[in-house]
Amino acid sequence: MLATMSLHTGADPAPTGGIPESALPGPYPVGRYAAKLRERLRSLARVQLLGELVNLRVARTRVYFELRDASGAIPCAAWLNDWERMLANGQAPAEGMQVVVAGGCDYYPGSASASPAFSFNVTDLRVAGEGDLLAQIDRLRKQLDAEGLLERQKRLELPTLPRSIGIVTGESGKARDDLVAALERRGWAGRLVWAFAPVQDRHAAPAIARALGDLAATRAVEVIVIARGGGSLADLLCFCDETLCRTVSMLPVPVIASVGHHTDRTLLDDVAAVSCSTPTHAAEAAVPLDCGRARAEQLAAAVRLSEHAGRALAARSRQAESAGRLSEHGRRAVLDRARRLALLSRAPAAHLDRQRGRLHQQLREIRAGARRRLGDERRLNGTRATVVGRKADATLRECRERRPRELERLVLALAAHDPQRTLERGYALVSSPAGEPVTSAAAAKASGELSLRFADGELPARAVKR
Amino acid sequence: MSAEPGAGTDAGAPAERLTYEQAAGRVEEIIRRLDSGEASLQETLALVAEGKTLIEQCAGELAAVGSALEELKLDELVARLEREAGGA
Repeated sequence: MLATMSLHTGADPAPTGGIPESALPGPYPVGRYAAKLRERLRSLARVQLLGELVNLRVARTRVYFELRDASGAIPCAAWLNDWERMLANGQAPAEGMQVVVAGGCDYYPGSASASPAFSFNVTDLRVAGEGDLLAQIDRLRKQLDAEGLLERQKRLELPTLPRSIGIVTGESGKARDDLVAALERRGWAGRLVWAFAPVQDRHAAPAIARALGDLAATRAVEVIVIARGGGSLADLLCFCDETLCRTVSMLPVPVIASVGHHTDRTLLDDVAAVSCSTPTHAAEAAVPLDCGRARAEQLAAAVRLSEHAGRALAARSRQAESAGRLSEHGRRAVLDRARRLALLSRAPAAHLDRQRGRLHQQLREIRAGARRRLGDERRLNGTRATVVGRKADATLRECRERRPRELERLVLALAAHDPQRTLERGYALVSSPAGEPVTSAAAAKASGELSLRFADGELPARAVKR
Repeated sequence: MSAEPGAGTDAGAPAERLTYEQAAGRVEEIIRRLDSGEASLQETLALVAEGKTLIEQCAGELAAVGSALEELKLDELVARLEREAGGA
């Protein structure tokens, strides 16, 4: 084709000689050839192509990407104004999407200072319908199902209370915080192992598959959650990747898919052990036991058991008490009877004993009384002796000191009362013959015989009755 | 009275084998039975002993998970596992 394209018309060979042995025409200046090549490529039929859009990059005036499918690829380029027109038409082409492009081959011949480039010049574009994608995904789903890969994960046992959970997610996504918050709400206090991976572009699927493999390989996580927020089907396309889905199905660790919202259904959701639509659901699936509630329930159950135990023990102690009381009653009755029998059999001896005891007691009391009285007497006598002694002393002192004075006073007093002195003053003392004083006329009359005592002697006298 | 120690061992033995849910379910069953008031004194004491063993088992499993949520990256986990393997 290039031989026919060489077109000698107006393109003379360069003055420099060619390769002597070669049968080919030329040599021609490369720039002229490049221009002809562009002309020829542009003349090729304009067509529409279908493929996956990858390596999208927007430059100052041009937009570049590649269109690929399983058997080949074509570099594509569009003028920026064409690209913006396509976007304005409601198309939102993005990395990894299946797109249909319209255009034709083009060639930039380059220059002394710029590299040449071949591209398919895109003048129009349409994102392949979701129907197309869904049909593809559905075909793949059926394929995986036929191979039994949709069931493998579902046969794995999900731990009720894992100690360690692996999470594959984007490093800077909201999904991350939501999941941690949801796990904390469940009162779970285990170990969370993060394996970060891109969750959107064409690198996502292989990176996620690698992260899953690495997490499972540690054998230190009991369940793995793949988390990503919602998005368009195109955004979530990586979770429909065949290799990723096959990897997940073969993992020995259960995988919980928490990708997008409940309206989004990816192939991963079908392959995973559990498919969840929110981080809260994912947390519940990863830790089926609500740890906070479980703790409260345990406490409540323990309290209830204690109450029952308390009541039962109280009942038992009451029973034991009753049994004890019964046996106590029995024992006491037996003892009483035995005691009475013993009393009866020992009655005379007991009587003697009692009497002997009483006698001993009385004897003890008498002795004690005697001792007490003796002691009392002794104490009393002592006291008396002391008093007497004191009195003797006092008398002695009186005799020695006060008596002479007293005696003198008495002598004087006596002297004052001495009848002799009265008689000396002219009085006479009347007395009966027996010597009794007669102190009244009547008594003198009755006595008849009287004796009159004067100071110097006595005279007999007779009372005369007139 | 001779049945009581037997009931005690019955309470201990299955507790070893029960999963968390089974243990928690059994505790609920025990409480229902006790609440019914139909259990004899001897049975009540045996059930209480079994229930307490099961609750301790459940509490032990919860405690074994950890005391606070710990976060680490996969690389850190791998490094830690390697250290532990090296140490062992």
